[in-house]
Amino acid sequence: MATSPAHALPDTVPEAKVLLRLRNIGKVFPGNVALCDVSLDIRAGEIHALMGENGAGKSTLMKIIAGEYSATSGDILVDGKSLPANFDAARYGIGLVHQELSLVPALSVAENIYLGRLPRRFGSIDWRAAERNARAILQRLGVDLDPRAPVGRLEVAEQQLVEIARVLERAPKIVLFDEPTSALSDSERSRLFDVIRLLKEEGHGIVYISHNLSEIMAISDRVTVLRDGQLAASLPIAEASEAKIVGLMVGQALAQQFPKFESDIGQPVLRVENLVSGTALKGVSFSLRQGEILGVYGLMGAGQAELAGAIFGLTPFDSGEIHAGETPLKDHSAADAIAARIGLLSRDRRQSLIPMQPIAPNLSLAWLSDRAMLSKLEVGREKRESADYIKMMRIRPPSMTQKLLHYSGGNQQKVILARWMSSGSKILIFDEPTRGIDVGAKAEVFAIMSRLVEAGTSILMISSEINELVALADRVLVMRSGLIKVELTREQLSQEALLLHSH
Amino acid sequence: MAHEMTTSSPASTKADRSRLALRDILFKAGPLIALIALIAYLSFASPKFATHTNFANIGRQTAPLAILAIGQTFAILTGGIDLSVAAIAAFASATTAVLMTSPLVLFGVDLGYLPIPVCLAAGLMVGLLAGLLNGWIIATFKIPDFIATLGTMQVFRGVALLTTQGQSVPGPSSTREMPPAFTWLGTANVAGIPASIFIALICAGIAIYVLKFTALGRAVYAVGGNREAARVCGISVGRTKIYVYAISGLLASIAGILLVARLSAANALLAEGEELRSIASVVIGGTNLFGGEGGVIGSLIGAMLVGVLGNGLNLLGVSPFYQRIAQGVVVVLVVIFDQWRRRSLNKK
Repeated sequence: MATSPAHALPDTVPEAKVLLRLRNIGKVFPGNVALCDVSLDIRAGEIHALMGENGAGKSTLMKIIAGEYSATSGDILVDGKSLPANFDAARYGIGLVHQELSLVPALSVAENIYLGRLPRRFGSIDWRAAERNARAILQRLGVDLDPRAPVGRLEVAEQQLVEIARVLERAPKIVLFDEPTSALSDSERSRLFDVIRLLKEEGHGIVYISHNLSEIMAISDRVTVLRDGQLAASLPIAEASEAKIVGLMVGQALAQQFPKFESDIGQPVLRVENLVSGTALKGVSFSLRQGEILGVYGLMGAGQAELAGAIFGLTPFDSGEIHAGETPLKDHSAADAIAARIGLLSRDRRQSLIPMQPIAPNLSLAWLSDRAMLSKLEVGREKRESADYIKMMRIRPPSMTQKLLHYSGGNQQKVILARWMSSGSKILIFDEPTRGIDVGAKAEVFAIMSRLVEAGTSILMISSEINELVALADRVLVMRSGLIKVELTREQLSQEALLLHSH
Repeated sequence: MAHEMTTSSPASTKADRSRLALRDILFKAGPLIALIALIAYLSFASPKFATHTNFANIGRQTAPLAILAIGQTFAILTGGIDLSVAAIAAFASATTAVLMTSPLVLFGVDLGYLPIPVCLAAGLMVGLLAGLLNGWIIATFKIPDFIATLGTMQVFRGVALLTTQGQSVPGPSSTREMPPAFTWLGTANVAGIPASIFIALICAGIAIYVLKFTALGRAVYAVGGNREAARVCGISVGRTKIYVYAISGLLASIAGILLVARLSAANALLAEGEELRSIASVVIGGTNLFGGEGGVIGSLIGAMLVGVLGNGLNLLGVSPFYQRIAQGVVVVLVVIFDQWRRRSLNKK
């Protein structure tokens, strides 16, 4: 095995035809290089797994193959011919099964499968043919669903199969799966694997994105790892191991760009006990201490977002207890959380800003939470503090009139931080604090965080940036499927440990 | 409206920024420039236009619309819309008119004519309560403002018809005419200026103060600018809506009462179509139809534009049929211009 060249396939599939070839694909978003010089082949009868950390470029690559994004550079070749820009993927035999379901719940299974392309007969819709064909496709997938049943009444797994049937109806040669199992139970998952293996046997080329390492090991023939938008490696599964894949995902030990500062860690200021919220949180307990940066890591959908929402009073939770200091928080609103001196930097900055207003009203917005509606604004204080924070946080441009939407992401983030500092928050929830901001602004945000904990503020840092957590956090809670799977102390903390425990 | 967050660096050079500021000012002053141009044109086109009598006339006719537009501004700033303002104006003023023109009989006891201030207070109370009802429905059931007020618009018209029994007031069941002390409100001049203009200006002054200097004002802009951000900052969207629609209802009742005082007669179908003209005034005045941007001064200018346009077309002898068409065209053109302006501003 070791002697065979990396690109050759086992002899059992002698003429593994290359269905699709990516040559030096690059994709640049404004201010962000998502993909750089990625080349790979997708072969008939092969399940090709695509792995990488959050933000490594997997989904971008998928969308380029599916024709949803156009590549900034490079070629996509099907049957040796280069595809034009903005190509129609279905025409070239490429079908994408989306991560999120894109079905219309009120329509029937058959209507969803044929959405926009229902078969016609003498100009009117041929319902009988539609239902017959839909049933045939579903049977091919080994499921017995009534084509007339409304999709909204089906189980999630059944909906996923309808989604797959919809893709298969157009007879693609290449089927792309973007994290298809994230919403499925174990038995549903194995049923999906049967379907994927079936497609493989029929000679389809399959690309499969998943975060689940054991899943990848079980099902794929070849694994390609992306790291920071670049191809880290592409190797047959026989040459891969879980540890090797994790190593490839992380890359060389990153230089410690953000030196850890020491702060005095005190008493618990936020206690969460047995927090349950739907299926997102299944009994989460932890405490955050004064002057501590407590990291929370998990893959997308592991429950971190819901945790932030529940603590801050944005989404109600079913059971459990939250105490901020001595204040119990239950059925609380954001106003109650703010009164308990909690602040939230949301995952999506757009969720926190009034884009068409300048800095001052954005800064003072959280002051209003406990004011009577007809009370007078503190216009003077607002002006003074805005000027102070602009100076202190080096917000650029230092304008009192410019609308916030004209600021860069990093500067917007500083304004939100200033908002919570000015309203006296002692517990800050940072949900993805560095998402979409450039390196310089990142360093500034970290500097402010270190100043905050020095002054006794506590930070719950929810992040999918492993290196940032390793650099900044005093402890990290690793979440998986709504539970805290493990708590890593500063000594146990490493990129490999975070990846291994979260997958 | 999706406000794109730019991640690129902001306008880099000083010249760039001052050019943008100039454009911003020109865009903002657009409605005022249009108003001045229209007045200048009409002064040339019709000798009767630029006279004191005509200006006083325009003022008297426009004051109720301006007051409706102030309330509408609050609703639109939160990203909502109040379709029931004209119906509330009719309902509230009908209440005042009926109380003034016939003695009140409660449980068989004849209480006689209520004093005028009490009749006025009753009308204002009706407007306030109607507005509170709008706000409560929107806040409690979380249905779109548009739908809620479309429904209550019909309800308030219906109740107004019941109040007046479908008659003009004073009418067959009335026992006296409107008291002159009341009609004075709609017809009198103070220092040569119609009293109703002063009332409109007082309303505008208070509204501007509320929007600029109170927590409620900030909440209004925040809810309309980004409802989610308002929520994250602990601002109750529902409570803000209740205040806003209560204000709109109260102002609508003031507008209705002024209208009835000018006409010396109330009627359940009073001010039909004024809800649309109030929305037109707000939008012409530069308030973003999707909320979060704009203000009362623009709406006043917008109302004046609508008023002057109507008056000018009358003086020029244009048939009322064409006037409607002209007004509709102006509104659509303004919204098109506004969309274009906003896109180019936000792109920088």
